[in-house]
Amino acid sequence: MTALIEAKNISKTFSRGGVFARRRIEAVKGINFSLEEDKPEIFAVIGESGSGKSTLARMILGIHKPSGGQLIFQGQDVDKIPRAGRAAFMARVQPIFQNPFEAFNPLKKLDFYLTMTATRFGGATSRAEADAASDQALRQVGLSLDEIKGRFPHELSGGQLQRVAIARALVSKPRLILADEPVSMVDASLRMSIVNLFGDLRDRLGLSIIYITHDLATAYYISDRLIIMRHGEVVEQGPAREVLSNPQHPYSQQLRAAVLSPSATLETITPTH
Amino acid sequence: MSSQPILRVENLKAHFRGTYFGVSREVRAVDDISFDVERNEIFGLAGESSSGKTTLIKTIAGLIRPPLELVGGRAQFAFLPDAPTIHQAAPAAVAAIRWRHLSYIMQGSMNVLNPLRRIGATFRDFALPHLGGSAGAFEATVTAHLERLRLDPSVLSAYPHELSGGMRQRVTIALATICKPEFIIADEPTTALDVIVQKDVLGMIRSIQREMGSSVLFVTHDMGVHATLTDKLGVMYAGRLVEVGATRDVFAAPRHPYTRHLIHSLPRIGDVTQRSGLPGTPPNLANPPPGCRFHPRCPLAMDICRTVQPAMIDVGPGHRASCHAISEGGS
Ligand SMILES: Nc1ncnc2c1ncn2[C@@H]1O[C@H](COP(=O)(O)OP(=O)(O)OP(=O)(O)O)[C@@H](O)[C@H]1O
Ligand SMILES: Nc1ncnc2c1ncn2[C@@H]1O[C@H](COP(=O)(O)OP(=O)(O)O)[C@@H](O)[C@H]1O
Ligand code: SF4
Ligand SMILES: [Mg+2]
Ligand SMILES: [Mg+2]
Repeated sequence: MTALIEAKNISKTFSRGGVFARRRIEAVKGINFSLEEDKPEIFAVIGESGSGKSTLARMILGIHKPSGGQLIFQGQDVDKIPRAGRAAFMARVQPIFQNPFEAFNPLKKLDFYLTMTATRFGGATSRAEADAASDQALRQVGLSLDEIKGRFPHELSGGQLQRVAIARALVSKPRLILADEPVSMVDASLRMSIVNLFGDLRDRLGLSIIYITHDLATAYYISDRLIIMRHGEVVEQGPAREVLSNPQHPYSQQLRAAVLSPSATLETITPTH
Repeated sequence: MSSQPILRVENLKAHFRGTYFGVSREVRAVDDISFDVERNEIFGLAGESSSGKTTLIKTIAGLIRPPLELVGGRAQFAFLPDAPTIHQAAPAAVAAIRWRHLSYIMQGSMNVLNPLRRIGATFRDFALPHLGGSAGAFEATVTAHLERLRLDPSVLSAYPHELSGGMRQRVTIALATICKPEFIIADEPTTALDVIVQKDVLGMIRSIQREMGSSVLFVTHDMGVHATLTDKLGVMYAGRLVEVGATRDVFAAPRHPYTRHLIHSLPRIGDVTQRSGLPGTPPNLANPPPGCRFHPRCPLAMDICRTVQPAMIDVGPGHRASCHAISEGGS
């Protein structure tokens, strides 16, 4: 039983503000979790805005160096991967970011991103191979290379862009996908088709997915386990359905109670004064 | 409530025109849309991704740049009586109404905060000229406003990249609402917030709106937010408005099959049945289906739907929908 990824008491401290008023922000404070190599799962991270979810994701991707603790990916300390091993690591751990609008440069055609991932991380050695890999990945998200080729990001809606972003992440055939709010920009129906796609990738390709979201309903629906974060700490964790059906921590209970539904009325939101 | 609406949209059409591989294409993202927004109301716009919501409100806000073109119709604000659309108004007149009369929270605008300016400086750049007062009073106003959005005043000394997505999104809402404008346009402004903060932010938007008697055009694909926040609701499908009415009425008795789908397809906690979403894909707006644009995905489609575009008809007081099944009495 080996870990695909293991977080050992990791933390991250930033300092922010002017020269005279520097503040230390403890964005992540000692988090532990582990995903097993031979047990692909969807691991949801939910919690307060500003609670350190994206910071955690950036540490896993090796973008931020942890201030304390260790992240081990397939036996290797992410922080100590030599330059030569970076590309191989990045092929195995692929991100899907919070916002489709910031994921793509408006001046670059969308197929460029797929081609680039296919050649840099996916082992494609010719245009035809790169195109085939791109098309295959796009088809997994309900698009095709024909539809995307030559188009710029602004020609697609947010939902379409997010599907391209997921396809791009699939091109290098990763083991772990880090999806930071991948569905927040898209409608309920597309949201369901994207999380169903995640479930399918888990079951069919044995991919593990760390799914950061504010959408409790899809976290409940698709994820196997989850953690709930607040102020840089995990306040509750466990099997997703168990935790969300019967939250124990007061913050989790508040979160569960704040979900809006079509039966909610104007009176249920209290104006702040 | 005054009888004259603050915004009247009439037969508005805006298309993307471009040449792709030598073939000219026209994406009819806003196709013949009409509705009114009254003073002192929150008008919600719903619809799936790529149905044209953003394009519609960009057109209303006058942000029309190639390849987007205004093809016809009007979108007239009461405070700009001489211009059929903001796009056709004099630049000086448009500058005069910004912030105080009209503010616009663009989709994804949290990512276009000036990366080189601290948040506090951005507030001074935009809001100080309109609010005036001493530096101390201004700072107190800004701090109090941020607190309503659950933001610590320390964000004022941060650069945008030092804030989380949800914090930046609240900063853009704060910027757009601090001058308490008469009309606020907001495109998916709460997508990056956790549900507790989202509830507070919606509460704040509503209390500002009620305090000031302002109007809000609020775009979101999230039907839970519409049910909670909006007074009226317009539903878009493939560049067209298919249903409009009081939010309460639309939720209680949706008349268009697409609206019914939107309301009933909401995933809920506790529900693990496999939800497949709507069959088929959103139509290609460069070549939309003839007749009713919804017919390839509609469970009620009849022969007439494949050829004849259904007209908007009254289905109740202030409630309109466009579907052949209604006129046939089949709904
Ligand atoms: N580069 C940075 N420099 C300084 N502070 C930072 C930086 N990145 C994040 N922070 C701070 O760390 C905290 C956690 O931010 P993070 O982006 O991880 O939150 P999050 O949980 O992803 O929130 P959201 O749900 O709003 O996206 C915040 O207080 C934020 O201001
Ligand atoms: N700059 C553009 N050029 C061509 N087509 C565009 C452009 N921007 C958006 N579109 C198209 O217009 C349609 C409506 O998009 P949009 O208004 O963003 O939808 P929504 O906001 O409802 O998700 C989509 O088909 C999209 O691909
Ligand atoms: S007009 Fe026909 S196809 Fe269109 S929504 Fe009504 S029944 Fe369905
Ligand atoms: Mg985040
Ligand atoms: Mg949009």
